[in-house]
Amino acid sequence: MTSITTELKVSAFLAYKSIAKGNKGTSALTILIMALAFVNLMFMASLFTGLTDASEDQVIETLYSNIVIEPKDEETYIKSPDSVMKKVGSVPGVLGISAQYLTASTIAHKEKSGAWTVRSVDPDDEITVSSVPKMMIAGECLSKYDRDEIVIGKEIAGGHGGSLEHLSLGGVVVGDTVEVAFKNGVRREYRIKGIFDTNFIQSNQLAYITEKEMESVLGTTDMTSQILVKTDGKGGEDKYVEQFTMLGVHEDIKTWTVYAGIVATITQSFTAINTLISVIGLFVAGITIFIVIYVSTVSKRRQIGILRAIGIKESIIIRSYVFQAVFYAICGCITGLLVMFMILVPYYTRHPLVFPMGDVTLVIEQKNAIARGVALVAAALVAGFIPSWQAVRETILDAIWGD
Amino acid sequence: MTNMEQDTIITTRNLSRTYTLGTMKVPALNHVTLDIRRGEFAAIMGKSGSGKSTLLHQLGLLDTPTEGKITIDGAEISGLSESEQTIFRLEKFGYVFQEYAILPELTALENVYLPAMALGLSQDECVTKGMDALEMVGLAERADHRPKEMSGGEQQRVAIARALINKPKILFADEPTANLDSVSSRQILELFRKLNQDMGQTILMVTHELEDVDLVDRVIWLADGEVV
Repeated sequence: MTSITTELKVSAFLAYKSIAKGNKGTSALTILIMALAFVNLMFMASLFTGLTDASEDQVIETLYSNIVIEPKDEETYIKSPDSVMKKVGSVPGVLGISAQYLTASTIAHKEKSGAWTVRSVDPDDEITVSSVPKMMIAGECLSKYDRDEIVIGKEIAGGHGGSLEHLSLGGVVVGDTVEVAFKNGVRREYRIKGIFDTNFIQSNQLAYITEKEMESVLGTTDMTSQILVKTDGKGGEDKYVEQFTMLGVHEDIKTWTVYAGIVATITQSFTAINTLISVIGLFVAGITIFIVIYVSTVSKRRQIGILRAIGIKESIIIRSYVFQAVFYAICGCITGLLVMFMILVPYYTRHPLVFPMGDVTLVIEQKNAIARGVALVAAALVAGFIPSWQAVRETILDAIWGD
Repeated sequence: MTNMEQDTIITTRNLSRTYTLGTMKVPALNHVTLDIRRGEFAAIMGKSGSGKSTLLHQLGLLDTPTEGKITIDGAEISGLSESEQTIFRLEKFGYVFQEYAILPELTALENVYLPAMALGLSQDECVTKGMDALEMVGLAERADHRPKEMSGGEQQRVAIARALINKPKILFADEPTANLDSVSSRQILELFRKLNQDMGQTILMVTHELEDVDLVDRVIWLADGEVV
């Protein structure tokens, strides 16, 4: 009785010879189709990962930083924010802290007006937690002692090709004066000092004034709406939350993920789309392999019959075709990865895709690449098995001498 | 077991094979009873449609009889499963078909040692035995050539070498010279004769060439599926 090792050896031998001495054009074309199928699977996954990454980075860089400390449920403001900031700042790995007042407001210029959120910041602190001050497209960012000046996002300003142009102030420029009506009834006029564009629709709808100015508007001091904390890297925020709590910060501490509802929505939608596209892609790849192996078994029908007649087991013959299918799939994966890493990723890094959540590049995740590679090989296994199994179902006499 | 039984390598009793074509039953073999001795070189002859190849296919386990019993080398083969029959063919039989039934992607040597490889022999053993078999058919110098680089007669000799590599108990040949010119045909038949005389190889050959009768020990004549 032949052992499984012997069977595998003979199967591999037949598969190798069939590929090495068979039609090179057919092999190259099959590998090319497999590579395209793999690129199709990887491209969408990488694009969605890139989109998710870009969205998350925008949420962190332009809206909430890594960690947000908010008042407890029953409070409106954090009292004595300096004490909280001192505790938080003592934790190694904390790179920046900024206290912010947030208030709803109506901003008007001539006959145009709209409702937007105004944030007040200490510009020296804000630059340690946010990229917004570095994204000015006109004018300058705020200075610590500015009192009658405001910085606004491009969706408020208008005239910069924003997605919400119809709701904007219609194209105000640096130096124009806008009137801000705060929630507490105070109205003040501000000169536009700068306009920023973060490439993120949400943060482009914010306006900034200085902390000192907001204190005079609200008539309060030593209170704040939220404290943003910048930490070292993305993804390890929970350990900082634990440390802040241990240091006696009793406010409500949240990581950026809590606020990233838009990212979660995007991710869920993209996961569903990606799954659908992946399944279709796998079907296409599987059917391609099926056709290649089917044609091969049909053209080698007599050869299969002879192999069986001389005592080569059916399982050896089936496995030899499955090995060929797997070989094509693996070569397709490798070629596809080379195309991704050497052509598509560099191209989209130089020419990112523009989305409302920012510029998006392709991000290849190892787990995605492995999962899709395994899926493609599994599809090839099935697609290689079925036609070869069908081929050996035929009687030997029909295979050798049949029509 | 008697000496007679020991000398008999193939026994058939009332062997029948009927094909079904739509609703019609077409008998190809009718209650064939025969014995083939060990070391015998027997030819199966008869007119076209007489059942020659059908008989060879039943004896070579390439087809399943409708009725009757076949005993080969002491083993009742009707009870063997499909996979057991495959192993039986690999270990005990050698086949030479009418067409040059060798694989185009393999060299002559690889074609020859494939059954030995399937039997679990090492690569070195396969090559050694393969070269010995090619030497036996006079094609050692063509070992690395692929079928498309060889003549029909050479390809048929490769097929014979492949049939011999596992030292089969019985060599089945189904009109092995039908597609060959007269010179190549003669070479193949003389090779069979030599294998039979020098090595005691049992050979069962289907042929329709009357001149082949001189080379064989016995002729089994068939007509309408019956031994006559």
